[in-house]
Amino acid sequence: MDCGTCESASPVVVNAPKEVDVSLTMTTKAVEMLSDAFGDDRSHALLVGVLSGGCSGYMYDLQIVESTETPCQELDIDGFKVLVPRASSHLLDGIEIDYVDRLMGGGFKINNPNASASCGCGESFS
Amino acid sequence: MLVRDHSASVLWCEGNDTLAFINGLSTNLVDGPCTTVVLTPQAKIVDVVDVICLPNGVALVGSAANRASLLSHLSQRMLGRDVSLRDVSALNQVLLCNVQPEPEPGVTVHKSFFGWMRIAPLAKSLEPNWEDDDWNEHRVMAMLPYHGHEITGRHHPLACGLESLVHEQKGCYTGQELMARMRSRGRQGHRLVRLAGQPEGATTIGRTHSLAIERDS
Repeated sequence: MDCGTCESASPVVVNAPKEVDVSLTMTTKAVEMLSDAFGDDRSHALLVGVLSGGCSGYMYDLQIVESTETPCQELDIDGFKVLVPRASSHLLDGIEIDYVDRLMGGGFKINNPNASASCGCGESFS
Repeated sequence: MLVRDHSASVLWCEGNDTLAFINGLSTNLVDGPCTTVVLTPQAKIVDVVDVICLPNGVALVGSAANRASLLSHLSQRMLGRDVSLRDVSALNQVLLCNVQPEPEPGVTVHKSFFGWMRIAPLAKSLEPNWEDDDWNEHRVMAMLPYHGHEITGRHHPLACGLESLVHEQKGCYTGQELMARMRSRGRQGHRLVRLAGQPEGATTIGRTHSLAIERDS
């Protein structure tokens, strides 16, 4: 295989979905748990992203970050800085971040009106 | 034996996230060269691709018939990851052989699920010494499924003889929940079989036997 030749081929045009202005809400329980995680320091942000993969095609990715190089929309939700990557904004518009308090399968959960299906553990959706 | 794979497509991928990206969307553990199956969330086959790691990128060799659906499937899921794709099918030829070939300048050799794969620029002279019928006979005797015959979007990998490409412990990938459920329950709906003669509904017809996908009894 001649990769020098391959590099002369045109890149495949990726039809990236159009970016949308994300609206996002958090339940009282999620705000409470985030307050515990952040403490008084609000210099960090909650990054709410989507990765490809997972049983149903897309996986949620929640991180507390100081900053990110990923181009993001920045939102202020209940006093928390929330970052949503522009590339996945179409998948996250209208979501509700909840916190489920139970021994198995507990933690932050995302209720997503854009999801037509999700896997058993709730971490991925399609 | 050396046969030209008329149905091959070759995509050239670059970027730091390439292997992780393919790993999350396919059944095998993609941490180096391998053959893996890209699935829909319903565990139907989008394409079976050979992942070939080269110094400056990764080649994905799949089926030309599935190229458009594979490109659509991949591009919808890039989501800003460090992956770029080029379609270099028209620049390369793909041949399959059943014995390990000697190294040759300009020819990439890869151990595929389908046999030893040789990929070279079109200008390189690689003369096949088997006809398509010989290849089909070899596949029937080896129970080796292939694109457009046993491997189609109508089936999941366990139904068409691709069990060995479904890693049991790699963790989540698209379609994994259904694959895990079928394995744990021991029910997969259909399976690849070799039958004597040329029965109706055969997916590949050989000289004395044929391949078919049968419903599990």
